Amino acid sequence: MAEIDLEKLEVANVVDARGMACPGPLLEAKKSIGTVSVGQTIEVLSGDASTKNDLPKWAAKVGHEFLGVLAGEGYDRLFITRRK
Amino acid sequence: MPAKMMIFCGSDDPQKAFPPFMLGSGALATEMEVTMFFTMSGLNIVKKGGAEKIVLPGAPKTLPEFIEVMQEGGAKMIACSAAFPIAGIEEQDLIERVECGGVATFVIGAEEADIVLTF
Repeated sequence: MAEIDLEKLEVANVVDARGMACPGPLLEAKKSIGTVSVGQTIEVLSGDASTKNDLPKWAAKVGHEFLGVLAGEGYDRLFITRRK
Repeated sequence: MPAKMMIFCGSDDPQKAFPPFMLGSGALATEMEVTMFFTMSGLNIVKKGGAEKIVLPGAPKTLPEFIEVMQEGGAKMIACSAAFPIAGIEEQDLIERVECGGVATFVIGAEEADIVLTF
């Protein structure tokens, strides 16, 4: 399977949760994923240190697909595809 | 069957009053069923005008915002009537969408829950 180029990925919604402590980014991701269609991808921006560990676990638990993370300037860009 | 989480909220100290909402909102986001049981000074969280006075700088949301997240997410909120005389409150002092329950409500709920957290 070809590796996904996250930089070039088309996202349906970008959630800016920078400046929000845990669980703010998770709650924003949960809210955002409900606004896109199954198969579409959201991007979550988070400056919280644990989001890159928490969101993959959350996605696996509830049945979405975590695609990966890109580092921004003092924050992370996390990509999740809605799968249900 | 979603996992059931029962959270015992027994204090209005911000350091103890916020974690039930931080973890509880995360549990809702992870598709668990959440019940919050408020007792002792924790009743001040669900007293009209009470949550506004409990402030924790640096938390991602205010307590009233967290209450809204929990209620919108379908969490059940129960005020412990056994502690009403101790906290000096009555049923009409409670915010909307909070039910009254007693010790039996908690112990049966705790027995049926997969996870019980106490604060």
